[in-house]
Amino acid sequence: MVRRFEVALEMLQLLKRLLYWRAQSSFARTTAGIACLGACYLLSATPVLSQSGTGTGAGRAGGASGSARGSSTAAAVKDTTPVRSEEEAGLVLMQALEAEDRSQYAAAANAYKRVILYTLSTARPDGDRLSMSMLGLERVSAESGALDSIVPVVEQIVFRRPTDPIANMVYLRTLTTLMREDDTRVAYLRWRRAVPDDASPYREYAKLLMARGRALAADTVLQEAVRLMGRTASLSAELAQLHVSMERWSAAALAYRDAIVTQPWLETAALYGLQRAPASARDSVRDALNQGKATLAAARLLSSLELGWGEPRRAWTALAKLPPDDSTFAAWREFAEQTENGRAWTVSRDAWTALYEQNGDLNSQRHAAETALRSGDALGALNLARLPSKSDRQAVAKAMAPTEIAALGMLGRMNEAQKLYDQQIGSLNANAGVLLQRPLVMGWLAVGDLEKARQIISNGELANDDELIGWVALYDGDLKLARKHLLRAASSNTSGNSNLVDALGLLARIRIDQSPTLGKAFLAIARHDSASASRLFLQLVDSVGTAAPALIALSARLSSSLTAQQLRLKIVNQYATSPEAPEALLELARTARAAGDKAAAVSYLEKLLIDYQGSALAPQARRELEQLRGQIPPAQLGPAIHSECNS
Amino acid sequence: MKYIQRAIAITFILLSVVSQPGLAQHLLLPMDDAQRNHLKAYGVTFQALKMGQKAEWLLNYRGGSFMLPDVPDLRKKAALDGVSVEPVSDADVAAMRAEIAGANMDAVVLERVPRIAIYRPVDQPPWDDAVTLALTYAGIDFTSIWDNEVLDGELSKYDWVHLHHEDFTGQYNKLYLAYRDAPWFIAQRERDMSTARHYGKANVPALKKAVAENIRSFVEHGGFLFAMCGATESLDLSIAAWAVDIAGTFSDGTPPDPDADAKLDWTRTLAFTGAHLETSPYINALSDIDGHQVNVPSRRQSLGTFTLFDFSAKLDPVATMLVQDHRSVIGDFYGVTTSFNRAVVKPSVTVLAQEEGSPWTKYLHGDYGKGSWTFLGGHDPEDPEHAVGAMPTDLSLHPNSPGYRLILNNVLFPAARKKPRKT
Repeated sequence: MVRRFEVALEMLQLLKRLLYWRAQSSFARTTAGIACLGACYLLSATPVLSQSGTGTGAGRAGGASGSARGSSTAAAVKDTTPVRSEEEAGLVLMQALEAEDRSQYAAAANAYKRVILYTLSTARPDGDRLSMSMLGLERVSAESGALDSIVPVVEQIVFRRPTDPIANMVYLRTLTTLMREDDTRVAYLRWRRAVPDDASPYREYAKLLMARGRALAADTVLQEAVRLMGRTASLSAELAQLHVSMERWSAAALAYRDAIVTQPWLETAALYGLQRAPASARDSVRDALNQGKATLAAARLLSSLELGWGEPRRAWTALAKLPPDDSTFAAWREFAEQTENGRAWTVSRDAWTALYEQNGDLNSQRHAAETALRSGDALGALNLARLPSKSDRQAVAKAMAPTEIAALGMLGRMNEAQKLYDQQIGSLNANAGVLLQRPLVMGWLAVGDLEKARQIISNGELANDDELIGWVALYDGDLKLARKHLLRAASSNTSGNSNLVDALGLLARIRIDQSPTLGKAFLAIARHDSASASRLFLQLVDSVGTAAPALIALSARLSSSLTAQQLRLKIVNQYATSPEAPEALLELARTARAAGDKAAAVSYLEKLLIDYQGSALAPQARRELEQLRGQIPPAQLGPAIHSECNS
Repeated sequence: MKYIQRAIAITFILLSVVSQPGLAQHLLLPMDDAQRNHLKAYGVTFQALKMGQKAEWLLNYRGGSFMLPDVPDLRKKAALDGVSVEPVSDADVAAMRAEIAGANMDAVVLERVPRIAIYRPVDQPPWDDAVTLALTYAGIDFTSIWDNEVLDGELSKYDWVHLHHEDFTGQYNKLYLAYRDAPWFIAQRERDMSTARHYGKANVPALKKAVAENIRSFVEHGGFLFAMCGATESLDLSIAAWAVDIAGTFSDGTPPDPDADAKLDWTRTLAFTGAHLETSPYINALSDIDGHQVNVPSRRQSLGTFTLFDFSAKLDPVATMLVQDHRSVIGDFYGVTTSFNRAVVKPSVTVLAQEEGSPWTKYLHGDYGKGSWTFLGGHDPEDPEHAVGAMPTDLSLHPNSPGYRLILNNVLFPAARKKPRKT
């Protein structure tokens, strides 16, 4: 039982040690996990010895030490009795760990030292116990601010065990913390001589140098390693970090490309590091990651970088060239979903299409068609929806019908859409039927056949669909009915449909209940005929009283930039007291700024701020004015790098 | 007939002036919590002076308000900047003056546009120096000057000079150890070495010593100096060390004089006396002047709050001007030099703010020769733990910053007309 308890404690300490190294390898993490699980298992099977009161010597000792904790601390600090046996060494080590847990650092340090002295005195020192004691000693000394006191002890260990990686690491780390730079270098050289074929000394020393901001010195060390040992993958991660810190982007990309092959967990670090490459250096990063045979890790890294840089098309190109296999398909699927969520429709369509071409699966085909439709490519969507599939015909037809009908509607081929609907509707339940009816109604509305649309709504499951009823009423020019249903639709619709918001805004301003021209204008919007819509809105300006500027503003939004500018100026000049006037000024300022006319932009913003001081747009206008005048940092400005304060 | 025509014309002009819509006689810029943008209110006042108008600083009246003439251009500037203004009539002003006369308040006339220089590398963007940030945001004009201008004797062109976190001992705040390989640090060092060679100085410490001496002379001859962060401590150390080497080997190639501490000449310094140097190159501190020692982990003190002192507005208007604020307790902020140990502050110095119960002060003012100086510890009032590489502070997000107000008090203080002493 005692042995089991000891083993459990040792495992816990192994875990502690590994965490203390800030484990950077999967091996370390895996080992830590195993150690933790093992320790938990053993402890779960172990009675709590100090409570049982019937344990063996070690158990009783543990209990005793717990009960006499306070009084024994001083004695423990002064206890210099040499440890005489393996068993006693294990016991003292446990006492050290317990003292450390209780923050009794002096007592813990003393116990650790005793264990180290005993272990070094044996013919075949127990390496694990020595490492545990050494790391423990380092921890408690750092906590108590007496790190310099461990130097002689660690020096002795390194002298006895010149190849011991833990001892050498602790030694280097301690000397660095104490700022003994020359001694650190000597220690590093000694370790290097002791293990000429091992990259560890280079790696650890370079890491310490980088942590202290001495990138050039770290560079020298790593270059020396490469020169003496050849291009070694075990140093790639350090090299890459170094290159990033020195803004050598191409070299950093190359080093990461090597590193992530054997250390895939570095992909996130690589992404974080390379993401900062300025636009001018990105081509060199692309070249470096594209060098040689395409690997999944490098392609995925480049793809993620491109997405971060706002280049989704290039992101897909990086992945598309990979040889097709299961790992590639998984990467493609992840990319397709990510870009679909990010509304990069065409890129997402290409990724889904590539998956479909390789697998022929219905899900990929459906996503490909839907994303094509959302990108505005109705014909492409239709073609994708009609491609052959591995799935049975009925399932394909059911899955693709809504997309096909919507695509046909957008193409104005409503007879085909109606035919398809008639074929499918009989075999569908009510919920599935709605999925077909909506695009069909929108299709009929788009071609201007309100009667057909109304018929489907009244016959189908859409009779209570406020939004569709409201739109149809609006297109009919029945503003009263439209107001009622669209308002209800807006209160239950959380998607923030901008057309719905525009329509409601206008309906709230216009007092009249009937206006066929307004209906036609909105119908023109539904048919993507913005020129007609804009013209029809302007026709109404003289007949809607105080809502005139709202119509002009809506018309401006649908017009080309030149016409829009004229219309906004009209609002500012003729309807200066309307709520649309400050909005028009802000838009005019933005247009002027985009055209490079800073003076005009400033003048519009100044007018807004002076004439409309109470406007809700004033704070935004003031901020844009301050940016134009250079009074506040530019919106996308990165960190200031010339600071001397490092508080 | 001619006289009648002239009389009608004059009457018309007078009527048109008097009946101008919306214009009162004065504009009050309240500086209490009613103000929407405290920082830009200083810019509006500066603009009034620039237009040749007189302004009044109503010390301790509603947070240290400003009274300006009600002219369209100032109304426009206030509206553009989002500064709250209250039109007041002569009768209102009379009531205000009565209130001011009976309380610890005073009205100080501001009548001169101060010529302002900021000591900073000319090519540096304005986002890493609290004063440059504040002046840029408020729309107050300034000129950037650097070592060349100082050594060429151009300081006399200015009324007010500001120093930020420069290390006038030439040791780069001992950041050499941590940043010697950083591209920005290398560029900065090369630039300073080149300037040193140009002026025949052997090294950067010698160059900065000469610059510090010129700044000392500027104050002695009547200039106003405002320093923040590391410039406060290092300027005095550099002045005290005019005859002794205090710079580490890494900065000038020679070790500091082993007896440097004893050889420092504190009779020439502005604020401090009897401080002890920190000569270890491994410890990121220049001396024991700073109470917080933020860059020395084992000595670092945590941030608290500092309290502005109240002064008699009528008897001590200068100190009162410097502490005008809508908050009297302000959150502290770190800098290379965050605070000043009271033990090393000269007895003649006026302490404007300190942390209650702590051994350090935060904000100091004093006279030196014909001029005066103000020291404020810390780097950025709205970025308490500013670090190298931190994002720049966007003051449009802090328009009511009480810490930044202290900086702007110093900008307007040289514009005040000196009152004759009632002795």
